[in-house]
Amino acid sequence: MSVVMFFLAAGAAIIGAIGVVTLRNPLYSVLALVCHLVALAALFLLLRAEFVAAAQVVVYAGAVMVLYVFVVAYVGGGEEVSAGSTLRILGPLFALALAVELFIALLGSALSGIHRYGAPYKLGFGTPEQIGRLFLTDYLFPFEVASLLLLVAAIGAVVLARRRRGLEEGALELKDLLAMPRPAYTGTIAEGVGVRRVREQLEQAHGGVTEVVPAGAPGSEEQS
Amino acid sequence: MIAFADVNYFEPWWIQIVKALLIFLVIFGVLPLLTVYERKLLGRFQHRYGPNRVGPYGLMQPLAEIVKFARKEAFRPTGSVGFLFRLAPAISILTAVGGLALIPWGNVQNILGTRIGLYGIDVSIGPLYVFALGGISFYGILLGGWASGSKYSFLGSMRAAAQLISYEVSQGLALVGVLITAQTLSLTGIVNAQRGMWYFIPQIVGFLIFMVASFAETNRAPFDLVEADAELVGGYFTEYGGTGFVAYLFAEYVNMMVVSAMAATLFLGGWLLPFGIHPPGWVDPFVVLAKMMLFMTLFIWIRATLPRLRYDQLMSFGWKVLLPLATLNLLVTAIIVVH
Repeated sequence: MSVVMFFLAAGAAIIGAIGVVTLRNPLYSVLALVCHLVALAALFLLLRAEFVAAAQVVVYAGAVMVLYVFVVAYVGGGEEVSAGSTLRILGPLFALALAVELFIALLGSALSGIHRYGAPYKLGFGTPEQIGRLFLTDYLFPFEVASLLLLVAAIGAVVLARRRRGLEEGALELKDLLAMPRPAYTGTIAEGVGVRRVREQLEQAHGGVTEVVPAGAPGSEEQS
Repeated sequence: MIAFADVNYFEPWWIQIVKALLIFLVIFGVLPLLTVYERKLLGRFQHRYGPNRVGPYGLMQPLAEIVKFARKEAFRPTGSVGFLFRLAPAISILTAVGGLALIPWGNVQNILGTRIGLYGIDVSIGPLYVFALGGISFYGILLGGWASGSKYSFLGSMRAAAQLISYEVSQGLALVGVLITAQTLSLTGIVNAQRGMWYFIPQIVGFLIFMVASFAETNRAPFDLVEADAELVGGYFTEYGGTGFVAYLFAEYVNMMVVSAMAATLFLGGWLLPFGIHPPGWVDPFVVLAKMMLFMTLFIWIRATLPRLRYDQLMSFGWKVLLPLATLNLLVTAIIVVH
């Protein structure tokens, strides 16, 4: 049973990995990567690393790849991306170098892993309890450093996103947009909230109001 | 063969198959009745009768509808992507049904001399399993909308996906409070830890956050912006008809059942009864089912009561109210438990 599962998962992982680099449509490429990651999670399960398998699916397939899919589905249409000519030559070279290195490592161990049983299984291995204990005892320092790194990355993302949204000097800000005179019944959010706020801002900006949408504007009812 | 968790006893492989079949059959027997229940209840809320023509009290209504859906022509739009269009509902229903395996229906029972746990599997990672499935179910929704080749479907699926990942964070954090209190991840362990007091009393904030997030997760009213018919026709399954549509519909209902069962297990003491009543072991699954029905009724009641949120309200509520609240709940729980 476990042998069948292993070959199924390993095959899916390899097919997914090949699909990532060969498929031309970016969305299919991303989906192939998802397939690869889920197959890896299945392999982790076979190694009794349940927590790692769940984390793999939750973090990679469920969060990281979701962002990829979002971006590709929004931006990437049917157009195919083609790499530059230098990349096209360099890419396979690097892949070959990596493959040679891996094979050296594999053959260097004289394939002792194949004809022998693996490491003995201890009860409770790979459970969240054990992993949590190791994180808070033996690997406390790397754990804290990694969490600090993630915190820095999160703050950095917020800072970068704020700057790009146009909060520099002289840029058009939200309050400027609100103060612009605009025809009624254009379905803005401010109208949905209620007109009082808009009216106040209009009065502040221009000293008068031309036209104001009544609170319960016709056509705004929704039916479930 | 050992199951995934350290169950401390061995179950023959055929018992696991029997259990899987039994859970599947019971749930898919209850499911059509649930749709009638929802429509009947909604009818009563809206001063009408609801379905009452097919069979006694309209109970045969789902049967007629299944026949209707199954006999529909399986067409797809010209702009759609064939295999993804067919695959997406399958992913949705697969992940929904996968969640059923985790529901603990009862403790380990002694049936005809063998010890059998009244649950599909009792994994050591517990709720993480459900979150992993939830992560994959995202692809069922998004691919369904994307592969339809329709603007309405695509926007609906984008909304659904954004909603799913926004509220999953709060749901997970609300859950951690329970896990810290119970000090285990195993769902049967969590139920057994509630023998003194059900967790919805000490974890009331977590319970409320979990329920709100669950409504958003399952795309039910008032968070059903995904299928806001006034704006999006039918959301990500606009272009689906016949069996694909039924698959999405069933996936939604199975997800509701799984979430109800999780809420009953984590906060309402699973198969335990209050006031120290200890019924024989065979009553346990019915207790869980009754508690699930309680939550299903709540789902329907809320649908009949509350109007739909606006999209920006949904997002700001999820990130600016629910998430900080869940974090605060987690911190307070951790401090109380450690001291």
